[in-house]
Amino acid sequence: MSAIEDLRGWAVVISLSFIGWEALSLWNPRFIPDPAGVVIYLLSTDPRELLGNMAITISNSTQGFFLGSLLGIGLICLSYFSDLLRSSIRVLNTVVQSISVLVWTIIFVMVFGVLSFIPSVLVTAMVVLPVVLSNLITSMEAVDEKLLDLTFLLGASRKDELVDVILPSSLPYLASAARVGYGLALRISVVAEAFGSSGGIGFMIVHCYNLMDPKGVFAWSLFLVVLMIFVDKLVFKPLERYAMRWKL
Amino acid sequence: MEAVIVEKVTKSFDEKLVLDRISFSVERGEFLAIVGPNGSGKTTLLRVIAGVLKPDFGRVEVRGSIGVVPQENLLLPWKKIGSNIELGLKFRRVPEEERRDKVRKMASFLGIEEYLDLYPWKVSGGIARKSAIARALVLDPDILLLDEPLTGLDISSRENLTESLTKLRGKITVILVTHSMEEVFTLADRVVMLTPRPARVASVFRTGEISERDLKDFLMG
Repeated sequence: MSAIEDLRGWAVVISLSFIGWEALSLWNPRFIPDPAGVVIYLLSTDPRELLGNMAITISNSTQGFFLGSLLGIGLICLSYFSDLLRSSIRVLNTVVQSISVLVWTIIFVMVFGVLSFIPSVLVTAMVVLPVVLSNLITSMEAVDEKLLDLTFLLGASRKDELVDVILPSSLPYLASAARVGYGLALRISVVAEAFGSSGGIGFMIVHCYNLMDPKGVFAWSLFLVVLMIFVDKLVFKPLERYAMRWKL
Repeated sequence: MEAVIVEKVTKSFDEKLVLDRISFSVERGEFLAIVGPNGSGKTTLLRVIAGVLKPDFGRVEVRGSIGVVPQENLLLPWKKIGSNIELGLKFRRVPEEERRDKVRKMASFLGIEEYLDLYPWKVSGGIARKSAIARALVLDPDILLLDEPLTGLDISSRENLTESLTKLRGKITVILVTHSMEEVFTLADRVVMLTPRPARVASVFRTGEISERDLKDFLMG
């Protein structure tokens, strides 16, 4: 897709969203503030408050993302050396996938307390883990058998196969998983912050809700959306493009 | 003295017979072509000789080390040409300096030194094929297995690669799988002709003993 087509797509979605939002705010002005009011609220918020809470959310989601990703990559590497481990990890993936974010959040908040950042990090990690695992399992199944035959003929050990063939060929899958995973991480970490935390965008959304401040709820939510879009466009899209460069 | 002995090799996939009691031998230093119609089982036979597939019946005796050049090249797209060529040396724990030296010499032999720092997806089909050949030859194999080396290349790449392969004659045992007349008559000393699937040995002859036309008629069925 060309940059111009991309921009046109963005213009359409943003315009329709604002029109819809404006219409809803006219229909229920008490709970749905108008877009202009929300933008003004956001612009008038102390930048230190915005950046401070953004830093907490990014820190929580990044730590959770890396923890989940490293755990996923580590498990996949181990699974390459044992059929039993491979089938166990598949089952683990199914089990982790079927546990609700709410369950993880409540368990970790009970264990680590409401003011700790750890629940937010761990919940995010538990949500990212199956995304990484599923993508890497698919990528391992997609490796060309002929490539493995050839590396065997060239004298590769299992470790060589993993390092020189399996993991590099998984990079495009991993980049896609990172993109989806980090998006999820940001969205999930704010949920965990809302339940138990002393700061972060999720905390601020719930804080404004408790103060019956709909403009604050919408402003922090809009801020989160903009942040996610920027992270995706500036970090993960280029990373994915780099990882897939030989497929382009 | 024989470098490769193939004896009554039989192979089936999903109960469909692909190779049916194939027997022949290859002399040391000989350039042998295996020809047959498309889908006759030539590549399967090459994979059995390489040891990647086990025959259901019969045996293959290979006296020496093997280098393989698959039809698809199978260069790793995330590694530069130079790193692809040195892959087998790396797997055999050859020191880095020695690896680089061997890769440079092999690249020079095949005329691809200037492409060593490029990725496979940035070079032509001919250079990619030569890189795959270099990857096999750099291990100094006694026997080289080539699967359709000239297929899919343009005329100038074909001529260039044929010239490179001709340099191997007499130095190394080569088994070449092909359905191209050009490859057979320019490169091979001897030819093993396979029947359509299930493949059996139809005939074994020296390249001077048959005309290109007769071979073409056979391959066209």
